[in-house]
Amino acid sequence: MKKILALALALVMMLSLTSAFAEEEVVTLKVSSIWSAETEANRAPFLKTLEEFEAAYPNIKLEVEWYEANAWKETGETLALSDSLPDVFYWNAGGVLWNLVGSGDILPLNDYLTDDIMARMEPGLLVDMTFDGKVYQLPYTKAASMLYCNTELFEKHGVKIPETWDELIEAVKAFRAAGVTPMALGGGDQWPTNMYTDIIALRFVGDEACRAAYYKDEGATFMTQDWVDGMAAFKQLIDLGAFPEDAASLTRDESEVPYFAGEIPMYYHGQWFSGSLSPEMQQKVVAVKFPAVGKGYDNQFMGGAAEGFCVSSYTEHPDEAFVAAQFFAENLSKNGYIAGAGLPAWKYDFSEYTDLNPVMAQIKDITSTADSMLLWGNTALTGEDATLIGVTVYEVLTGELTPEQWCEDMETIFE
Amino acid sequence: MKRVLSNKWSIAVFVLPTVLFFTYIVIIPIFKSFYYSLLSEIPAKVGDESTFVWFKNYIKMFTPGRRNAFPGAVLNSMTYAALSIFVQLPFSLLIALILANGVKGESMYRNIYFIPVVISSVVISLLWQRIYKDLVPAIYDGLGLALPKNGFLGNKDTKLMAVFLPSLWQFVGYHMLLMYGALKSIPSDVIEAATVDGASATRMAFSIQIPMIKPMLKVCLSFSLIGSFKLFDTPWILLERSNMQLPALSMYVEMFSNHKYSYASAQAMFIVFECLAFTALLNLLFRERDDRDLTKGRGRKAA
Repeated sequence: MKKILALALALVMMLSLTSAFAEEEVVTLKVSSIWSAETEANRAPFLKTLEEFEAAYPNIKLEVEWYEANAWKETGETLALSDSLPDVFYWNAGGVLWNLVGSGDILPLNDYLTDDIMARMEPGLLVDMTFDGKVYQLPYTKAASMLYCNTELFEKHGVKIPETWDELIEAVKAFRAAGVTPMALGGGDQWPTNMYTDIIALRFVGDEACRAAYYKDEGATFMTQDWVDGMAAFKQLIDLGAFPEDAASLTRDESEVPYFAGEIPMYYHGQWFSGSLSPEMQQKVVAVKFPAVGKGYDNQFMGGAAEGFCVSSYTEHPDEAFVAAQFFAENLSKNGYIAGAGLPAWKYDFSEYTDLNPVMAQIKDITSTADSMLLWGNTALTGEDATLIGVTVYEVLTGELTPEQWCEDMETIFE
Repeated sequence: MKRVLSNKWSIAVFVLPTVLFFTYIVIIPIFKSFYYSLLSEIPAKVGDESTFVWFKNYIKMFTPGRRNAFPGAVLNSMTYAALSIFVQLPFSLLIALILANGVKGESMYRNIYFIPVVISSVVISLLWQRIYKDLVPAIYDGLGLALPKNGFLGNKDTKLMAVFLPSLWQFVGYHMLLMYGALKSIPSDVIEAATVDGASATRMAFSIQIPMIKPMLKVCLSFSLIGSFKLFDTPWILLERSNMQLPALSMYVEMFSNHKYSYASAQAMFIVFECLAFTALLNLLFRERDDRDLTKGRGRKAA
């Protein structure tokens, strides 16, 4: 009896041991996202992506910290100083990414990027995420700013949707005459104004010269007639009353309220805006290319792959962190496009989805034939240069700076 | 207990933890900031590439230029300090005097004036944002007046005053309460004697009450001055980001948006020096006053 008991005991011990070994070790990853606000178009797609990840990788536990975009930018930079960035985190591409790469905070992903993964990604999107041949970030979306026109208001006032600069000026005048504010703009947040000045500058100056200036290439300058003309064209819009009277004190959110209410006919903003449109508004709004100026740069766009996920260089679980970052990028790309929040950066067959956001689909089509895509000035520039392009454009809006003074002030970034 | 406290060693032992803690979180950082402010700008974390540039950052701070907002920011903070001293404090004193002299519902009024102090500055700022963006335009509309271009918070001529107003308003109650407390602690026999002698309320205020609460007025003045130079939260929220029109805002933007750690440290040091200098000046002014009063009193006694 004793022997049987001892044998049984030994058996139980062995069984419990094997089950302990069989259980895989659970790894916990810290993740930061910028979609804390319920109104963020990417919030629901990201939540869905998290769910999908948890189902696919039960052995990786995620601790997600939620931030608002601007707050995360500052928090992230501060965390980088003390080498305490989360394992996987959202970040912008271009200059701001280069800052963190320069300070050694980001893990190069080349070793993990298999041919299979690379083949699933849309081509040409890693331009602003690659430095010295090393890939530091994976995009989940492709950005592009567009002119959103409310067709209902255009029809009501008998105005043609502008295709050229002259038609835009005519449209602004016609709406003003009818007592309608022609374009939405939340200047208080500064960067929405940069959306307008960036695209106008692109039409007047062209991708090559803009890129050189924003990336501070040797010999680049803001002191050319084209830059002055671009800023003067923006000034012309201000003087014609294209924007709300109190545009300089409105936040982006406040400025969009009348557009959502169908009171403002035009708005130039990023593709994410189409995700914020109600289903009803999606039927009324069309996204079109910013009007042509006729200088040969009319099929160029502002945007590109400007946002993505990074892995911190000091993560304790680089393999799992890469798996998570890659999963987030690819699946948020899919879920985001299905939800109408963004353009996909990864290849996926969307044919089974019939109720996609029509405005987003228009943007996808328009940008598919783009000559080039250029990152926004305040994303490509960094630190005080990025602050400067925000502040100076704001000062042009409030009338404190003339177009010529703006060029002179921007030229100081080369000093 | 008395014996323990009269022993210098035991006092030292009791005070030591606080002194150490205070040194660690206040004194050392000030000296460290000063050290950083003397260095050249360095890329984050690549520490050993910095060199001593001595006072170059301080000179840069005050080198005139269209894009150098710092001298203007200092002037703006001085304007705010002047408004606090010449508008906010007298107003607080007036309310304190009225309340201390006894009105119906004294404690209710006292509490009402104190409410803004209790509310967080963030809430106050959001409240005033709505006032400037919704209420004021509605009133202007109703009266048929034209709003300044871009609204009060967006117009370059009105935005500073629009930002100062909520901060001034918020702390009226705070200074009022300090002064009210001091007024209430004036011995009643003095007030009674004055009343018997037939002193009017104005006479009583200027000859008895205000002179007797002078130490508290000095405290209010110091708080108000230092607060003016450090003003940050309300303007930060009301003016949105990247605004550099006050020293503390400028320091924050230079540090956290522009990553110019040395330059921002220099600005921080300037704010510290400015606060210390004005506190010293205030002490000097009040000491001179006290000395004069003392000699006057002694002269009278001798006669």
